[in-house]
Amino acid sequence: MKLVDALRNKKEQILSRWIDRTLDSYLEPGFFKKSKDKFANPVGVNIREGLTKLYEMLLASAGQDQYAEPLDQVIRIRAVQEFTPAQAVSPILELKWVVKQVLSADKDTRPLLAELDSFDCDVDRAALAAFDIYMNCREQLHKARIFELKSGNFILSDSGCPSALIRKNSQDKSRIH
Amino acid sequence: MADVVKADKLARSVVEGPTLMTGAIPRKSWMDIPVVFKPGNYCYPTNPATQGYLDRQPGVSFPNVREWNPEDEDWKLQENWKEIIINGLAERLDKFRSLKIFMDCCVRCGACADKCHFFLGTGDPKNMPVLRAELLRSVYRQHFTLAGKLLGKMAGGREMTTAIIKEWFMYAYQCTECRRCSVFCPYGIDTAEITMMLRELLHLVGVGINWALGPVTNSNRTGNHMGLTPQAFKGNIDFLCEDLESLTGIKITPSFNRKGAEVLFITPSADVFAEPAIFTCMGYLLLFEAIGLDYTWSTYASEGGNFGLFTSNEMMKKLNGKMYAEAKRLGVKWILGGECGHMWRVVHQYMDTMNGPADFLEVPKSPVTGTVFDNASSTKMVHISEFTADLIYHGKLNLDKSRNSHVIATFHDSCNPARAMGLLEEPRYVLDHVVDNWFEMPESTIREKTYCCGSGTALNTSEIMELRMRGGLPRANAVKYVHDRHDVNTLACVCAIDRATLTVLMDYWVPGVKVCGVSELVGNALVMEGEKRQELDEGLRTMV
Repeated sequence: MKLVDALRNKKEQILSRWIDRTLDSYLEPGFFKKSKDKFANPVGVNIREGLTKLYEMLLASAGQDQYAEPLDQVIRIRAVQEFTPAQAVSPILELKWVVKQVLSADKDTRPLLAELDSFDCDVDRAALAAFDIYMNCREQLHKARIFELKSGNFILSDSGCPSALIRKNSQDKSRIH
Repeated sequence: MADVVKADKLARSVVEGPTLMTGAIPRKSWMDIPVVFKPGNYCYPTNPATQGYLDRQPGVSFPNVREWNPEDEDWKLQENWKEIIINGLAERLDKFRSLKIFMDCCVRCGACADKCHFFLGTGDPKNMPVLRAELLRSVYRQHFTLAGKLLGKMAGGREMTTAIIKEWFMYAYQCTECRRCSVFCPYGIDTAEITMMLRELLHLVGVGINWALGPVTNSNRTGNHMGLTPQAFKGNIDFLCEDLESLTGIKITPSFNRKGAEVLFITPSADVFAEPAIFTCMGYLLLFEAIGLDYTWSTYASEGGNFGLFTSNEMMKKLNGKMYAEAKRLGVKWILGGECGHMWRVVHQYMDTMNGPADFLEVPKSPVTGTVFDNASSTKMVHISEFTADLIYHGKLNLDKSRNSHVIATFHDSCNPARAMGLLEEPRYVLDHVVDNWFEMPESTIREKTYCCGSGTALNTSEIMELRMRGGLPRANAVKYVHDRHDVNTLACVCAIDRATLTVLMDYWVPGVKVCGVSELVGNALVMEGEKRQELDEGLRTMV
């Protein structure tokens, strides 16, 4: 059996384990795993869709630039949740572990473990692309903060009372004179 | 370097087991997981000068003024803080029958559990409305029920500790009081009111956030959140009128604090000051000019928003009272309200028992169509969308939809107008008449079931940007759907906090979607007598 055929045959098993592990990184993952309604469960469904598409692209030996869309679907969410940067992108690398687990559990596919080098490299490339996306997301958040500061909303909380400012100005003036 | 995982260890972990990398979180009972404050997951505490000022005001109380930091172990609570909290809870159980019922009647059916945008964005069980309420309910059980007094933890009770104060602070400020969960509760428990009680109790021991008390202070002092002086407030509106003149050729000279006007117009101060809300304000100005409305602005009641709602009932009452005091002083007949969210919750659900009935005003009657707004017969305050829809219905506006041809819109039901006053059809009716192309988001995300922007109740502050983005994910996810499917490029709404925070939310999740008020689109489409309108490719936003 060729490696790519094995990965195709075992697709459901691999994806199910991979997605479950990823969603297990949440404190209360039950609903995220269960609900298939995209609008009721945006975290669970987007992560499921993104990882599924990414897996299909890896099997089809798609170009690295094509990873961006499914990766964005997953990483954009994790970039604003309470994960360290490593935890946010780690699900991508976990695919290697999941694939090895699944292939080694079946005696027919066990010999293929030695052929995983190229697949592993592709996963690594996807993980690096995920890191780029993570950084872009974080950069965007900082820009959003700056945008809000510039838009002047900070005076909501940090401005002094106008009358106090007038008092301060007149005190400053009297000091100068 | 101690924290950096060695490369070989990392490689081995990938092969042997991924827990090192995912940091898989141990599953414990929610009661046993303490909260951890770190930058980005909490709002900054109130500035002592702000809190001190408020505490000195008559009729309200914000004690225990001090510098403190949520990340510190010691929050510098009063020595008798526990007594204060328990007495405070007792007082509120006595005063608010709803609270007593909400504490007792939940059967933990779980219908609300997966309806909260914060739970959906975080996966944190304490953001399930039922569990958020349980943070208070467990203390209630321990101290106010026989079973709890006798059996303690076995009866779901918890002894009040500083760890619980910290937990309350964390989760009372991860609830935007949007009330989506209440729609699904078979008992109609209003979890927002539980959050309101939690925040009130926290204020008793001096635990509050600057982004709530800052605007409250400004409103109390200068009349609006922004702290704009009367001169600045008027100056900003004059400036918008100058812009309108160069865009449309129409010269508008609105009046301020004018006694004897028929109508007092009140809107969030952000409409006067902040982008993109100013374009909504330009829409109001054009509309009133088009129909020749006899109205006045007030530089005293210069704020529709009421952050008192997010603070304490006394503060809410005081800030709400100002609008009616000004209506009385000016001798207007009724009040027209702009596109604000929580102002309408305060007016529709609390005003009448706090400051009403407003007997000195008349039941609102449109001077243009003669329609009597019986629905506002007690509060005497009409929503701009109701008012505009009525004008359109009677054919009083000359509208050209093609002036919004650059717009493919969807409509976000702002939480409070939708769920607290049932304003569902009017903005849609207006949209039907001013835009050619607009599309609804999926049914489970609009109308009464609308998802919150994730930044309401004074959570629209930058230090918790990540929290806001994850809280807003369910809303953004539905916008993305219509953006991908119908090329939607504009998210219309009827709330000033929405206009500010959805803008940032869209930039992150659905770039290419702008946010606007419904009245901005009305302003774009209005054909005015005597206009000398330029080519406005982007409506009132066009730079000329």
